[in-house]
Amino acid sequence: MSFYPYTDNGGSALAIAGEDYCLLASDTRQSGEDYKIHAGYVPKAFKLTDSCVYAGVGFSADGVALVKRVRQSIEWYRHAHEKTMSTPALAQMIATVLYSKRFFPYYVGTILGGLDENGRGVVYSFDPVGSFEAELHKAVGSGAELIQPFLDNQVNLKFLPEVERTPLPLDVALQIAKDAFTSAAERDTKTGDYLEIFIIDREGVNVERFDLKRD
Amino acid sequence: MSSEIDEYNGGSVLAMLGKNCVAIASDKRFGMKLMTLGTEFPKIFQATDKIYIAMAGLATDIQTLSELIRYKINMYKLREEREIEPTTLAYMVASTLYERRFSPYYVSPLIAGLDKNNKPYICNMDLIGCVTTTNDFVVGGAADDCLLGTCEALYEPDLEPEDLFETISQSLISAVDRNAASGWGAVVHVLTPERVITRTLKTRQD
Amino acid sequence: MDHFPNYWGMPPQESFDRYNIFQDKTKNNAISDPTTNTKQPIVTGTSVIAFKYKDASFGSLARYREVERLYPVGEYTVLASSGDFSDFQYVKHTLDKIMTKEYYTNDGHILGTPHIYEYLSQVMYHRRSKLNPLWNAFVVGGYHNGEGYLGYVNLLGTTFQASTITTGIGMYMASPLLRKAVEGHEDTLTEAEAVDLVEQVMRVLYYRDSQSINRYQRAKITAQGVEISPLLSAPTDWSIGKDLRGYQ
Repeated sequence: MSFYPYTDNGGSALAIAGEDYCLLASDTRQSGEDYKIHAGYVPKAFKLTDSCVYAGVGFSADGVALVKRVRQSIEWYRHAHEKTMSTPALAQMIATVLYSKRFFPYYVGTILGGLDENGRGVVYSFDPVGSFEAELHKAVGSGAELIQPFLDNQVNLKFLPEVERTPLPLDVALQIAKDAFTSAAERDTKTGDYLEIFIIDREGVNVERFDLKRD
Repeated sequence: MSSEIDEYNGGSVLAMLGKNCVAIASDKRFGMKLMTLGTEFPKIFQATDKIYIAMAGLATDIQTLSELIRYKINMYKLREEREIEPTTLAYMVASTLYERRFSPYYVSPLIAGLDKNNKPYICNMDLIGCVTTTNDFVVGGAADDCLLGTCEALYEPDLEPEDLFETISQSLISAVDRNAASGWGAVVHVLTPERVITRTLKTRQD
Repeated sequence: MDHFPNYWGMPPQESFDRYNIFQDKTKNNAISDPTTNTKQPIVTGTSVIAFKYKDASFGSLARYREVERLYPVGEYTVLASSGDFSDFQYVKHTLDKIMTKEYYTNDGHILGTPHIYEYLSQVMYHRRSKLNPLWNAFVVGGYHNGEGYLGYVNLLGTTFQASTITTGIGMYMASPLLRKAVEGHEDTLTEAEAVDLVEQVMRVLYYRDSQSINRYQRAKITAQGVEISPLLSAPTDWSIGKDLRGYQ
């Protein structure tokens, strides 16, 4: 009987970047092995700065350890440079932190949602060892396969040639996020309980909590 | 091991239930692992005028099973002197699969059809014949998780045939574009009491 | 005298003693086994349950061989353990050491429940990252800043706080009962109802967990401090047995 240092605590998160806002939504259920539910409200998404929110989905202990390290780095940066880290800088830093454990990885799918230096919404998504890319929308976690195609269809408005490509307004993005999660909570056993939605815009970060199916 | 076998050739299928109509769709890719060998391999077969059966999984089993089912349907018609009903066909396929319980056909069949009163019916089953009848949608194949996500979000009950076509097309295309083993175009059949409308869709050609 | 014919005529093996009682790991010998330190739990305890009620927290556990698995840390915290018992003893000693250090600094602060919990979580995560875990699932319960606090941490470093926590097989059997009774009513559940709930849950666990015995302890933490009850038994009804074949 040997010790396997990882487990999957389940859950899903998504982020959508708009013209002057960014939206990051994650469920809050923490699951154990074999269909256990540890608890209904264990947040996976955390505010890092006034213009950036992070979500780490996968192995919960690694997600928490990663966010602790990242928060410490933000503090050090602030003391050294007398300013808050910008979102692209944070993304690069997180990639470096993840790669530093290349041979014993942080087992989390990470997404970063925030505003870049010009105030435009941006989403960065990372794999567990630090490869990252800026995107318009991304889903991570156990429900990612269920949510991502839906986001492609509704956010990118793919395959709907008659529709005019106007920028996605915040209330539409919010409804897409809620619908994506109600669908994921139906079909994915590890997603459910509560949904936390962070909205990052010029004024700062606002968070709201909604109910999801508790089964 | 079994999950590798049923994604070896790729392919995904989907069926949805609407108001007095059903729609069934599949992608057209045929490949060997990551290499695509064919782009005209739809996985839907016409069982009777009013019932279609789609199968995703190992291509050789799809072909063998479709011929076996064609034989059984024809024999049924000769003996019973009437067309087979969707529920009956479903359980006939299920018991054919269960005959191979310990060395199965690696397929996920879906059945969509209208019964003799034109009441719509859809169901799917696993590789050894466990039938699940639903009244919204059924999915199968390599992109089944992606299909579940898009269908769950986009489906609503009691859609008219044209709206059902739009919904099933959007669901299938969005889902297979996120799956490497499915794609290269899609075929959709919409079955109504009067006629069957068949359309081909363009997806990402990769 | 060399009792083992296998060793006659062979060069002396310095990394082993003749009777293979221990391996001398200081000698760098190519044929010695790699140092292993991941292990399986040897002496284990089964489930722990804990929940918050009005003004307090409650923990209790099904025990194994008359051994105490509830341990008070400081005045307002209790540590409950399921899993390997020797690792639990190690953790007890470690926590005692840091609590003593805190008392010695004598600066008016002592470690409260959330602080002990955070320290323990970091220790557990660090040990798992060294692939040498403390093979336990701990529940830390206490009273801090006017309200109950409950936290869980396990051998992987997975942590969560909730108003009801269970470990082991209790997660399957006790959680639904606790959640139904407690969630939403944390502020109105009285002590009498809480005691009743504990007894009911312990009875269910005793009926259905084959590794439990009908002895449990209850810890109550309130603003007044920690109270650990003596050994208790849940009243059980085995009369169904007379209808079963083979039951004595």
